[in-house]
Amino acid sequence: MSPQLSTPSKAPFFRDIRTLKWVLQLLALFAVFALLYWLYGNYQENVAKSSIQTDLRFLDNPANFTIPGNDLDQSQPVRDAFVEGFLNTLRVAFIGVVLATILGTLIGIARLSKNFMVRTLGTVYVELVRNLPLLLLLTFMNLAVVLQAFPRIENAWLPLDLFVISNRGIAIPWFIGSPAQLAIGVVSAALIAFVVARVRIRQADKSGKQDRAWLFGIISFLVLVVLIWLLFGYGWELPYVDGRGTTGGLRLDPSFFALVASLVIYTSSHIAEIVRGSILAVSKGQGEAADAIALSGSQKMRLIILPQAFRIAMPALGNQYLNLIKNSSLGATISYFELTQIAQITVGNGSPAVPAFSLTLLVYLAISLVTSLVVNFFNRRLALVER
Amino acid sequence: MKSKSLSVLAVASAAGLFLAGCASTEAETTTPAATETTTTTTTEAAGSLLDSVIAAGSVRCGTRDALPGFAVLNDAGEHVGFDSDFCRVIAAAVLGDATAVEMIDLETADRFTALQSGAIDVLVRNTTWTATRDGSEGANFLQPTFYDGQGMMVTSDSGYMKISEMDGAIICVAKGTTTEGNAALESSRLGLDWEIRSFDETDLILEAFLAGQCDGWSSDVSQLTGLRSAYPDGSESLMILPEVFSKEPLAPAVLDGDTAWAQAVNWAILATIQAEEFGITSANVDSIRDTTEDVGILRFLGADVPGSDGAAVLDPNLSLPTDFAYQVVKQVGNYGEIFARHLTPLGLDRGLNSLWNDGGILYAPPYR
Repeated sequence: MSPQLSTPSKAPFFRDIRTLKWVLQLLALFAVFALLYWLYGNYQENVAKSSIQTDLRFLDNPANFTIPGNDLDQSQPVRDAFVEGFLNTLRVAFIGVVLATILGTLIGIARLSKNFMVRTLGTVYVELVRNLPLLLLLTFMNLAVVLQAFPRIENAWLPLDLFVISNRGIAIPWFIGSPAQLAIGVVSAALIAFVVARVRIRQADKSGKQDRAWLFGIISFLVLVVLIWLLFGYGWELPYVDGRGTTGGLRLDPSFFALVASLVIYTSSHIAEIVRGSILAVSKGQGEAADAIALSGSQKMRLIILPQAFRIAMPALGNQYLNLIKNSSLGATISYFELTQIAQITVGNGSPAVPAFSLTLLVYLAISLVTSLVVNFFNRRLALVER
Repeated sequence: MKSKSLSVLAVASAAGLFLAGCASTEAETTTPAATETTTTTTTEAAGSLLDSVIAAGSVRCGTRDALPGFAVLNDAGEHVGFDSDFCRVIAAAVLGDATAVEMIDLETADRFTALQSGAIDVLVRNTTWTATRDGSEGANFLQPTFYDGQGMMVTSDSGYMKISEMDGAIICVAKGTTTEGNAALESSRLGLDWEIRSFDETDLILEAFLAGQCDGWSSDVSQLTGLRSAYPDGSESLMILPEVFSKEPLAPAVLDGDTAWAQAVNWAILATIQAEEFGITSANVDSIRDTTEDVGILRFLGADVPGSDGAAVLDPNLSLPTDFAYQVVKQVGNYGEIFARHLTPLGLDRGLNSLWNDGGILYAPPYR
């Protein structure tokens, strides 16, 4: 090393790259805060000039509207309407996530099928749906499918006389009783079914035969639900057309159907790609090992490939779930009474816009963060433990 | 572990932000100091909108584009209708030019936000004057242009003849309107158990109504009349039930706290009513101004009023040109002309919207 290179003269502080980085970052931070402060100041002044509420007092005003398929009275406070909207958002989110995962997984597997027909159908589905804007899909589903392709209530479609399908909604058979009774029945049936499945696994471990735990679990669950119903004297109620509406059973709102269907179709096309990629990412040796111990095709998929694929897919799936939940706000465009629709209605009827929409934003933020926490929890449970 | 603690932190900070927002907004609206800090940035907004409208040379009027009779687009893409003409009345009064209007189409649910944010100068969009809107939306409602009431439209073959027969019906309404509340109230009052669905725009209600998803379409009777006249299956396939179950005074609105602008808009509207009472129309306004000796009319039109010490023009100090009423009537017309131009063809009667001396409730304060 030559001596003149090893001892460079110290640069002045204003040319020191570390100082410059700090100064630039502080300037950027200052600019952001100045902008926010300016906007907030304008908001304050506009609000003061026109006596618009800035707090959450509006939540105690009467709602002055009703929600289809809900008992909310128009004299109940806005607060209650927001809660109902929140629950409707959760309903769509929960059912949407479950159905999109099932459909997406099936299509992801189909895209890897050796059968040309199945594989092509899967590819066409994914490429068609994934490249459409969701709002367009939703509008089409509502205006073209539900409103036009579904029959009018006068000539409603009654498959097996169990369902009533019309453009005023889909009515399905439903039990008679309270939601609490339903929950008790379903939970106890599920617990017993779980025990049955565990017993099957233990027996299979001893005898060396296949356990078929899922099959036994599901069958015993269904049998038990019916049994509990009969034992406790609850009955089923079939829906029927009654004038211009339906009576009995559970009626799903037409816009609920359109929203869930669009969200499931759209999100499943993305999930299918994630599942396909994750299956391909499972080490090839795993499949070969499964072949070597003579597992059947479906056993290989169920027992070896999918469990490892889902471990890889989990973080990406979490993103899709968040997308689905946030996209449910599009329901407001087709008159589904979820959180955004409630916020829009109440703002149109005298609630102040900034606090009402801020509250709505925070609720969505909370839902998304909780979903992230849950996904992260499962991700850590499933993640490959490397030793 | 790191991602978990980050998420927890984010939830906590969101909650904190929310609580802080609730607390601080309440505190700061009561302190005048909050406005002092921003006076430099908004000196222009502190003046009256009247000045900025005159400076800009056009009135930004919040309106709509798909309500037959009140505001629709014609083949040339211009706004035509009762509400559109009142936008022009305001422009004629303030700027002396009825064409100096920028029509801004708004969704029903966005209209007050547009007014509050200053995106529009005045809202003339079938808006009902209610206490809550007056108080909470920062809107200052002026002279109603149309006294309306809510009614119900059904298909002619539905068999409904009265609202009380519509038990368990699905009623479709526009989102963010007084219509929703009135329908809910009427349903509970009559014990009808209506399912009320609300849609963004009338186009969407029309689709649902055509497909048979709704039994009834409830809105202001004037709107229903307009929509019925343009119904794709022909107007005779629909009927409007006789009952009217609410008071809907449709009034223009400006932002609270700007008296000069509010007075200017208000007197522009009142001028159309006063002109009809005087019998002044766009056709005869010139000849009346030149020949009449009625002092009241001369004052109203901003013409020279002969007095003991020479001629003088009345200037009531409304910050409007003294001949604003002349410009309004000359360029747009009086109230009766505007009504006859847009609403009579739909089959609407004057009814409540007649002059006070003709069985209605239109009554302009004296111009003197």
